[in-house]
Amino acid sequence: MEMIYLIFIIFLGGAVATYLLGKINGVLRDITFLATLIVPAVLFYTQVSIGQTVDFSMSGMNLQWGITDFGYIFAYIVLGLGVLAGIYAVAAMKGKENLGFFYSNYILSIMAMMGILFSRDLVSFFIFWEIMTWSSYLMVVFSGKDVQKVGIKYFIFSAVGAYAMLMAIVTTYSLTGSMMIDSLVTAYPGFDFSMQLLIPILLLIGFGVKSAMMPLHVWASGSYSHAPMAYTAVFSGALSKMGIYGMIIVIVSLVSQIPEGHWFREVIAWLGGITAVGGTLWAVAQDDAKKLLAYSSVAQLGYIIVGVGVGTPLAMLAALFMAVMHGLFKGTLFMAVGAIEKQTGTTNFTEVTGLIRKMPLTFLASLMSIIALAGIPPLGGFIGKWMLYESLVGSDHYMLVIVVFFSSTAAFLYCYKFLFGFFLGQEEPEWAHVKEAPAMMVVPMIIMAIGSFILGVFPGLILNPIDAGLQELGYASTQGRYWEMSMLFNEWGDKVVLQPILYTIIAVFVFFFVFVVAKNFKKTRYVSTKDISSSGEIPKAHENLTFSRGFFQPFLRAVEPLMKHQIDPLYTGFGRGMEAIFDFVRRIYTGNGQTYALYAIIFAVLLLIFKNQLFGL
Amino acid sequence: MELLTHILGAIATVILAFVVGMSYGGIVRKITARVHNRIGPPWYQNFIDAFKLYGKTTAIHHGWMQIMGPAFLMVSSVVTLMFIPVLTNGGWFPNLNFEGDLIFLLYLMVFGPLGMALGAGQTGNPNSAIGVTRGLSQMVGFEIPWVMALVALMIQFDTTSITGLMEAQAQSGTWNMFSSPFAFIAAVLAMLGMFRYSPFDIVGAPTELASGPVSENGGKYLFTMMSSGSIFAFVKLTLYVDIFMGGADNLVILLLKTFSIYMIPVLYGIVSPRYRTEQAIRFFWGWPLFFGVLALIYASIF
Amino acid sequence: MVGSPVLLIAIPLLAAFLIPLLGMIWKELVRIIPGLVLAYMMILSASLLYYVLENGPIIEVLAGWRPPIGINLVFSPFTGFLATIMTFLGFIVWLYSYRFKRNVEFEPSKKYFIFLMMLVAGSVGIVLTGDIFNQFVFIEIVGISAYALTAFYTGRNAAEASFKYLLMGSLSASALLIAIAIIYSQLGTLNMADIADNIHLMDPRFKVIAMILFIVGLGIEAEIFPLNGWAPDAYTEAPGPIGAAFAGIVVKAGVYAMVRMVFTLFDVSGAVDFLLIIGLITLIIAETTALRQEQLKRMLAYSSIGQMGLVFVAFGIGTTEGIFAALFLMLNHAIIKPLLFFSGSYLVFNSKDKKISEMNGLGKYMPMTAAFFALGSFAIVGLPPFAGFWSKLSILTAAANEGMLLIIALILMVSVVEIVYYFRVVNRIYFFKFDKVTSVVPHKPRINAVIAMAVLGILILVIGFYPDAVTGVLHQASDDLQNTQQYINNVLSVGQTLTN
Repeated sequence: MEMIYLIFIIFLGGAVATYLLGKINGVLRDITFLATLIVPAVLFYTQVSIGQTVDFSMSGMNLQWGITDFGYIFAYIVLGLGVLAGIYAVAAMKGKENLGFFYSNYILSIMAMMGILFSRDLVSFFIFWEIMTWSSYLMVVFSGKDVQKVGIKYFIFSAVGAYAMLMAIVTTYSLTGSMMIDSLVTAYPGFDFSMQLLIPILLLIGFGVKSAMMPLHVWASGSYSHAPMAYTAVFSGALSKMGIYGMIIVIVSLVSQIPEGHWFREVIAWLGGITAVGGTLWAVAQDDAKKLLAYSSVAQLGYIIVGVGVGTPLAMLAALFMAVMHGLFKGTLFMAVGAIEKQTGTTNFTEVTGLIRKMPLTFLASLMSIIALAGIPPLGGFIGKWMLYESLVGSDHYMLVIVVFFSSTAAFLYCYKFLFGFFLGQEEPEWAHVKEAPAMMVVPMIIMAIGSFILGVFPGLILNPIDAGLQELGYASTQGRYWEMSMLFNEWGDKVVLQPILYTIIAVFVFFFVFVVAKNFKKTRYVSTKDISSSGEIPKAHENLTFSRGFFQPFLRAVEPLMKHQIDPLYTGFGRGMEAIFDFVRRIYTGNGQTYALYAIIFAVLLLIFKNQLFGL
Repeated sequence: MELLTHILGAIATVILAFVVGMSYGGIVRKITARVHNRIGPPWYQNFIDAFKLYGKTTAIHHGWMQIMGPAFLMVSSVVTLMFIPVLTNGGWFPNLNFEGDLIFLLYLMVFGPLGMALGAGQTGNPNSAIGVTRGLSQMVGFEIPWVMALVALMIQFDTTSITGLMEAQAQSGTWNMFSSPFAFIAAVLAMLGMFRYSPFDIVGAPTELASGPVSENGGKYLFTMMSSGSIFAFVKLTLYVDIFMGGADNLVILLLKTFSIYMIPVLYGIVSPRYRTEQAIRFFWGWPLFFGVLALIYASIF
Repeated sequence: MVGSPVLLIAIPLLAAFLIPLLGMIWKELVRIIPGLVLAYMMILSASLLYYVLENGPIIEVLAGWRPPIGINLVFSPFTGFLATIMTFLGFIVWLYSYRFKRNVEFEPSKKYFIFLMMLVAGSVGIVLTGDIFNQFVFIEIVGISAYALTAFYTGRNAAEASFKYLLMGSLSASALLIAIAIIYSQLGTLNMADIADNIHLMDPRFKVIAMILFIVGLGIEAEIFPLNGWAPDAYTEAPGPIGAAFAGIVVKAGVYAMVRMVFTLFDVSGAVDFLLIIGLITLIIAETTALRQEQLKRMLAYSSIGQMGLVFVAFGIGTTEGIFAALFLMLNHAIIKPLLFFSGSYLVFNSKDKKISEMNGLGKYMPMTAAFFALGSFAIVGLPPFAGFWSKLSILTAAANEGMLLIIALILMVSVVEIVYYFRVVNRIYFFKFDKVTSVVPHKPRINAVIAMAVLGILILVIGFYPDAVTGVLHQASDDLQNTQQYINNVLSVGQTLTN
């Protein structure tokens, strides 16, 4: 049997088995769950080769599955994050109800994402896309919080996106007579101009929703924060990347074939820029870690979209590299929040403080990920941002580079808020009982944190496959021109050699660490955070001096004009208006038999009056 | 042998930066006093303070992160210094000058303050955290015109490297502050925030926050912070000189140029009261931003 | 050939008369015999369909009178396909309600099963008959059984709903009768094939009036807007399985009659477009109305109307692909909507008002039923990999091939509305906290009901994962409907052979 089929059969069977075993035995269920994630991952990396395809026919349409170089990059994210977050999930979700349901949905999500990457035709693409949508939807509503508001909002947006995509798909089918993605790409330049516009726009609506591109992002904050954190790691880290995946295909393979495609790119790049700024500002304003990370995800996806929109080889390299990095560090951060939620029961910065001494490993993972997120060298986040800036400057997007820079500078604010809010500040007796999260939760976090460090030092590890993927999309090989293993060149020939930098940093760091910190740390004694000089007095034990409310109030006051205009109320208002109209329509059905009879007669009379127009007689 | 030169050069650079930064700090204290009609401390007062601090022993700590904070700061200052061409041709200070790049530098420069902010956070002193939030907010403010100025230069000379910019100035014979005046104005206005002199001293804000982030540190830690602050001031000044004033061929010119550019924030600060945080941010998004945009337009047209 | 199509109508009618007598022997026979009859009908029509797909349509002449004078039954791929769905559903409904009202007295259950059987028999008759007056008679048989079943609970509301149904039904009957009279006066024949053959001879003025009367009369049965006022009440007040039977069987018969009239009987060019327009209006109004419903069954009723609107849209596209999509949708709807009605009526079993808001948190206590409801919801809004997706896809491709982008957009927008109201219910069932005060007391479904639901659920999954299982039949059926001339030839040639 074809290995590709086998992978999907394992996924499907595993999902069903996990669900059923969930009713019988917890341990068996967990083992099945992990096996269902790990076995296909192993099979995929060992048995499936790039370019291998399987063909079959369904409902009269020819379908094809196979992985490309380009999809392979995303498969790293999906399977890597899927397995690690899966291990984490087993520990994190322990003791919750309905775990069989949770796990099988998790598997279905991963399966759907792999399916998307495997689909070489639009129908299976759409099918997997929808499976991904509803399985993630079931995860969003899993907690039962704000189900009708947050969950429905997510699904409405997803459905609008998916249906826009479906419309593009059927239109394509009617134009080309084939469901293959390749035939769409080949036939695209020959379409009418109106179709050349319509199809990419519809597809981009679909992908824009998933990748939380403004103005289609309003579902993201609620959905990311309501899903269980073990899943949100995948949701934000991998699932949102499917939008990016599709977007790249549309932008690079489709619209670039026509001269007007330039404008598409510009619009998308600017939407990405606006997304980045808006997401960042709203992230700064949040007091809940989940919401903060959710908005931060929106912002990070904004950068990636900018890269995709700009579309030069370097920008694409940056976008894809950031996509991988975002999966790593944002996955870790969501996991850390999940760990904190499990250990303390809250994720609000105004409630929990001073966990650094209680959860040091979680702190370490968070710190590494935050450094990567903020784009500070030498972690991986910097490489992506750097390539993005270089590509923006190099392709004459001067205002955009300022916008992106603004957002990434403002990102420091919420980065600090995250670390300070949870780990630093006053250690209150309320949280004295908190312990480090179980090893099964900590280990995946640490692995991923180390991963983002490694990618920062040896970006070539992932830039290599990205380069192959970009060649698949028709870019010339960037190898040797822009980068080599662990070494970066910028476009104008100046170079930054990362390794000497790294050595310098490590050398200086070690010097100060050993001679100042470690030496003094031993010599000095620990005192509690209550033992501080606050206006010349030592605060009493019960005095809560934690600074967490209105953390960035002055900054938020300064950017208030930017945040005044929100799109969410518009959507809500639209929704309410529609419901009001529907309620009005409902009154047509009066419940009165006489009225209904009258309708019938009026209908007959109307048909008689307009018979010429209707029936042409 | 080459490695030895590098290491010795690096040490020399750090010492130079330390001495110059400390002296400038002392001179500024003197100038400020004179403007305030006081006698003021001698110019070497900073050295006295620093060595006194270094001589003190610390008894307590609040945890790892707190004492890592100063180390972070120092690392960042020293590493940044390594990437700044102190003299045009390297000269006595052959660091990693020719491998630097502006964007890289921008990010490297925030490495230290953020690490320091984490250290300050662990002390549990609310003033420290308030100071940090103010500092970060202000940074968002001044980075925008500053980056605009830098991007304008990058566009104009098609390079993102500092040495590239210096070469371009050497070739054309004019300093960037004349050839791209708007970028210079925007950068100088951003510099007001970068040096945190009044009216932008909201981070330390002596009377409000009890010196903010540093408030729980003393002894060697405070010494580390102080010296790294001095080195950092030197780094920033040298960077300005390098990219706007054509760099310096020898130490005397370097000192002249850096000192003159240092006087801008100092003198502006002496006569100004302190801003509130949001006022400070809005200040940078007013005229500095305008000049930044002008610089970008200027650069993309010419 | 295993038997004659006539048996599909004769057996249930005969059984309907015998059941009261047999009931005197053993009360249980009243429940068992309808099941046996429906099972027989299902098997018969399925095997006939299999035969027909291989060997071409069966034209059965009744009582030796040859067409066009006599009454004939046409068992073609198209009609046979519908008859198979109907008998299958009839059996499933029987299976579901086998132990229905077990504890109540003998009389109502006797009526229930007899009327159920009549309902199925009448609907099959509507589909199979080749004679418009005969069709009218079957419509009346269905109508009378349906009125009676609607009023089954004999409460005030049920009586009112039944009366409304009756009122509209009689309007329909009069319209149909006049239309038939006009046609007969003009063409002198009641045979569909004969009418279709000679329709071009008819005076256009009469023709259009007859057609409008047909549209009004059949539109009431097929629930098109604005003739569907009776439907929500009838669905809500009738017992749950009967709601399923209405959605799966009766309406399908109405749609069949309407489509047969438009595609075969009349040669009016605008009629197909008219189906598209009226279908679209029905779809939009019904789905938007459904969003604001508070009662579960009423919501399902509006959804059912909306689906029928979509079926008409698909027919109205006019191409073979469109008809294929419409048939696919009818098939899916006939599987999914009964599942929703079945599981839905157990979910609100103990509730007085049958409100959606009373369903909070039931998923935990009735996992099976809730899962079936969720599966039905997912399938009917067209989420892959469930059955509904393929029909939606085929409708959209059919519309796209005709360049009807606006219609695609409208259908998809309405689908979003559909998703909202179905998911709101599913959310309540699964993700709300169960509340002793406001939620319904859970009622476990009986084993026969579970089997009935499971059969439908499995079908949804089978079609969802392997649509090719049914597309072959559907293609043949849609070709069959499209090809009017062949229908005429088939029927009339039987007349010739008999003469010879």
